[in-house]
Amino acid sequence: MSGQVTAAPGPVVVPPDPTVPFAARIIGWVLAVCGAVGTAAALTLTIEKINLLTDPSYRPSCSINPILSCGSVMVTPQAAAFGFPNPLIGIAGFSVVTTIGVAILAGARLPRWFWLGLQLGTTFGLGFVHWLIFQSLYRIGALCPYCMAVWVVTIAIFWYVTLYNVHHEPLFTSWRIILRYHTVVLTAWYLIVVALIGEQFWFYWRTLVT
Amino acid sequence: MHARRVSTNSKITLGLLAIVLAGLAGLFIFVQNSGGKDQQAAADRVVRTDSHRLTAAEDGKVTIVEFLDFECPSCGQAFPGVERLRQEYAGKITYVVRNFPLSQHANAQNAARAAEAAARQDKFEQMYVKLFETQSTWGGQQQDQSAVFEGYAQQLGLDLAKFRADRDDPGTAARIRDDQSDGTAAGVQSTPSFFINGQRFDGQATYAGLKAAVDAVLAG
Repeated sequence: MSGQVTAAPGPVVVPPDPTVPFAARIIGWVLAVCGAVGTAAALTLTIEKINLLTDPSYRPSCSINPILSCGSVMVTPQAAAFGFPNPLIGIAGFSVVTTIGVAILAGARLPRWFWLGLQLGTTFGLGFVHWLIFQSLYRIGALCPYCMAVWVVTIAIFWYVTLYNVHHEPLFTSWRIILRYHTVVLTAWYLIVVALIGEQFWFYWRTLVT
Repeated sequence: MHARRVSTNSKITLGLLAIVLAGLAGLFIFVQNSGGKDQQAAADRVVRTDSHRLTAAEDGKVTIVEFLDFECPSCGQAFPGVERLRQEYAGKITYVVRNFPLSQHANAQNAARAAEAAARQDKFEQMYVKLFETQSTWGGQQQDQSAVFEGYAQQLGLDLAKFRADRDDPGTAARIRDDQSDGTAAGVQSTPSFFINGQRFDGQATYAGLKAAVDAVLAG
């Protein structure tokens, strides 16, 4: 045997693959951190919902003013799109995302079908979140801070899962250029949502600055 | 290892943020500059000559202005107290009602239009009472309740054709908007918001709370 068999006991550290672009390499961190934030937000919303159910006069911690008010958002039919409170989906979904993220950080290698499944799930999440953004802005007319935290992390999770898959799927070789501009797209995406919020509630925001 | 340099990605991202920040700063300065003048006029805008007066004081000593949303539950809760106060102080206070429909209430705008249309037939007070007394039947719903309000107009003996025309008149919408912008200028953020002689009333929106404030002004 040659002298290269010096597998030292201890944690197996997978060295970062320099051929994988940064945007695809950080997937583990994105999933772990955004998943944790999403789980915390969904958990808080569920607890607030339970408080509201046991005491109808309860004022949720995130009802700050007429616009930033989860109390008025949580009682709408849109807050239970599938017949049960939305944050329950969040608790389940974000816990899974966090777990996957931590597993990747621990060095797990996941098969292709797993990544495509994750793409499917996060795409559903993305669609659902944008429906909720539309409802919140143009139908309900109020914003809920915890829900907005969910919007932020869901968009980030979808974006980085997509970038990871674009990098690893041979079909999308020509699309790989977007990995180089990952934060440009993400920032523009967030800014559009912020601009829509600013425009829709302008009459209120201006009372805060004057 | 190539030298560490700022990637194009970071440059464009920071550029985007910088542009937006600069835009926000400009907007902020613009609003601040235009806001200074507004502030002085705001107090005068709490009540205008054409605002709806439910009751008028002979001596004009106390004027209460309420910015309300006909669909807002707390306005509905304040309503009985307000009515009691109006009755008890008939002839001693001027009670003014102004529109402040909130966008989260699907029919607040419709209700405000119905009240304004009734006002054009001198039935504002009757419609105001009717809308609050029936709030629980039409409030909190996503469907358009205009037909319900037409029913109220008929019950109040209004000319329905004129009511409909007035309700849909752009002038009615403009008037509601004027009420709303006067309220916003005066610092109204939620409904009901009360002003007593131009001073914001921060107490409880109940009969006792309002009565105490009115008595204080009458005594002083």
